[in-house]
Amino acid sequence: MVYIKQNVIEVKNIGKEFNGVWVLKDIDFDLKPGEIHALVGENGAGKSTFIKILSGVYSQSSGDIYLNGKPIKFSSVKHSESSGIRTVHQEINLVPYFKVYENIFIGSELEKSVAGIKIIDSREMKKRAIEVINRLGVELDVNHITAGINTAMKKIVEICKVLVYNPEIVIFDEPTTALGQEERKSLLNIIKLLKEQGISIIYVSHNLEEIKEIADRVTVFRDGEKVALLQDDEITIDNIICNMLGNKTYNSYTRQNSYIQEEEVLKLEGVTTDLLKNINFCLKKGEILGIAGVVGAGKTEIAKAIFGLDKIKAGSIEVKGKKTTPTPENAIKNKIALVPEERQLQGIISSFPVSKNVTLTYLEKWTKKGILNTSNEFKSTLNYIDRLSIKTQGPEQLVKYLSGGNQQKVVLSRWLVGDFEIGVFDEPTKGIDIKAKEDIYALMDKLSKQGKSIIIMSSYLPELISNCDNIIVMKEGEIVGEFNTRQENLEEKICKVMLGGHKDDKEQRIA
Amino acid sequence: MIKSKELHKFDWIQFLKKYGTAIFGLIVFIFFSIAADNFFTVNNQLILLRQMSMLTVVSLGFTFVMAAGGFDMSLGNAAGLINITFGAVLISTNNFILSFLAALIVGITLGITNGLLVAIIGLPDFIATFAVGTITVGIKMLITKGNPMFFPRDVSQAAIFIGQGRIGIIPFPVILMIILVILVAFILEKTTLGRRIYAIGGNKVASQYGGINVKKYRFITFLFSGVFLAIASVMLTSRLGSAQPLAGEDFMLDAIASVFLSTTMFGEGEPRAAGTFVGAFVICMLTNGLTMLNIEYYFQYITKGLVVILSVLTSVYLGGKLNKS
Repeated sequence: MVYIKQNVIEVKNIGKEFNGVWVLKDIDFDLKPGEIHALVGENGAGKSTFIKILSGVYSQSSGDIYLNGKPIKFSSVKHSESSGIRTVHQEINLVPYFKVYENIFIGSELEKSVAGIKIIDSREMKKRAIEVINRLGVELDVNHITAGINTAMKKIVEICKVLVYNPEIVIFDEPTTALGQEERKSLLNIIKLLKEQGISIIYVSHNLEEIKEIADRVTVFRDGEKVALLQDDEITIDNIICNMLGNKTYNSYTRQNSYIQEEEVLKLEGVTTDLLKNINFCLKKGEILGIAGVVGAGKTEIAKAIFGLDKIKAGSIEVKGKKTTPTPENAIKNKIALVPEERQLQGIISSFPVSKNVTLTYLEKWTKKGILNTSNEFKSTLNYIDRLSIKTQGPEQLVKYLSGGNQQKVVLSRWLVGDFEIGVFDEPTKGIDIKAKEDIYALMDKLSKQGKSIIIMSSYLPELISNCDNIIVMKEGEIVGEFNTRQENLEEKICKVMLGGHKDDKEQRIA
Repeated sequence: MIKSKELHKFDWIQFLKKYGTAIFGLIVFIFFSIAADNFFTVNNQLILLRQMSMLTVVSLGFTFVMAAGGFDMSLGNAAGLINITFGAVLISTNNFILSFLAALIVGITLGITNGLLVAIIGLPDFIATFAVGTITVGIKMLITKGNPMFFPRDVSQAAIFIGQGRIGIIPFPVILMIILVILVAFILEKTTLGRRIYAIGGNKVASQYGGINVKKYRFITFLFSGVFLAIASVMLTSRLGSAQPLAGEDFMLDAIASVFLSTTMFGEGEPRAAGTFVGAFVICMLTNGLTMLNIEYYFQYITKGLVVILSVLTSVYLGGKLNKS
């Protein structure tokens, strides 16, 4: 029997504007009852913004949302949740020493009345928790302490947390990150099971294999626009990648030179940390090496391992043929510079003026017997302000009042001072304007010409392709591909390795 | 673009943020000068300076800790242990240098303990230093049962001079205080050590990413805190003429108040030596002035508590407002 039910969600011409910039333009979207509708797109394509509008974090700047045919505008997360939309977030947020059922009912504890006083009704909570877990067809003791269960089970607890509200719509945001192959499969089966139980699902993932496996329809985002709606046979990895990339206009800047020399300056052998598995690569003098991968693939972790911020459990790091114990102090001795990803958190000291931020690492250069020469500090800072064209009122201006791009230049000059030999730049152009980006690209080219080696981590492929000599692709803490940038259709090739497939298929993909 | 009207308002807030605490201090000073007959006299001002000297010295040590973004809750309780150590060694040897060294060793031990627990092992500073302070209470009470130790009649003159002596009309503790203020100002403003301490206080993570050995420098701040406490306790014991296990307990709240006032002093949220000096002056002036006005002693605690709340509130409120504009 076939009858047509109305869409649970219909979105018409939705747009979102931040400070005059439209990050989401004219999106149409619908979700049918009991379907899995996947959203894909590169980082910054607009998926997250879109989901945040549906879950009430943002409200749209234009367009309409219809929930079961009725127009609605979500004023808050609560509003969206009470309308039957729940999100299973990427991160796991559970209280480790709570029992499983206590975590499932966190914030929605059931109560019973004893002599007029409301107390927690553990028995009922356990009963309901077991019901929800049974719905998912998994075996999990609700009395187990949460800290003692594995990541996959924690994810299931997160799903249960959402299910106790009997939501009509569930948004899954990258649910399979940090899961192994088998766990991933069983989680996908659980999501399929939920679909069969009539829940409508919006599924966001970077993993195209997964999407191919479970999605009924796929909406592709690119640069804040919806560029395709695929279904049935149209859902192939090639087709999705093709739509994601489109005829993208590359940066106006493309590096023409290559100053790569024979000498190996940095070598990682079998480096393993909590989040990295058996990383091997070497960096040559004058090379610009790109490290690609989606968010959470392990790019930052490589930077942390080299700089000694994460503990290395196995493997070794050699600088110019000499083994080194990675600590921040040793890294500096070995002339390794680190420009971290989180500028505000890890880069600048916001209460310091520009000058003190510039001189932070190599402060000894401005001291005599431990005593500072502040006027020299000022002069040197002026020099760097000039060299990198940092827009500031002067060395004494507090760095927090500078724009992101200029703050980044301040962090860069901190290291230029020390005349580093190996630069590790983690997302150096994140959130900065085009002019500053191009300045940084030009600087990297200049540095490599001077014989310095650079590793640049970026989730924006065109940036790597136009700047690097070679690119390493990371996925789930492992290297899954290595590419020379002098080849055709590189972005498509990298995307396939980066987004599609599982690590088991690694060999054949690299071949 | 910022319109001229807004610019004017911005400047006004900036001015208050920068000099608000100093203006507040000045207003209180003028108030006491008018309200209390004996307040604004050379004699009373010298007494006031001498009263504040010990607090300033403790607060200088605490300034290091707070500049690195830390906290030391052991100061008030540990003071008594240093008092009695100094007293006991002085009574048995009558040698000031030895007694002073003994006091210093206790201070250093305290600093090392706090530093190990907080900076190296990474325990939360409030809890760890509070616990260490509590242990010192136990030790000093076990030793003394709460009884003071009085100096012998023929006690070494140096042991009296450090707390009671004068050079000209200026009390020696005041001179010592001024020397130490200048020394700390120098260390914090003009040396690598000071810069790194402020960097860690500004952003611990960024300092680590910038290659600064955060553990080492945080450890050093606790060491300073212990050393300055030892000097202040010796000054206090010398001034009292007896080693009191309970004397110096007020150091804790008063030092917190002084250094918090210091952080609000120059509008940058960083405590400085000069700011701490002014902060300690304000706190002692309140005690002194209220006494002059014959206001009941216990009322001073209420006032001090209110001043701490007010100063923290001011910095938070002005800081928030500044960020929005």
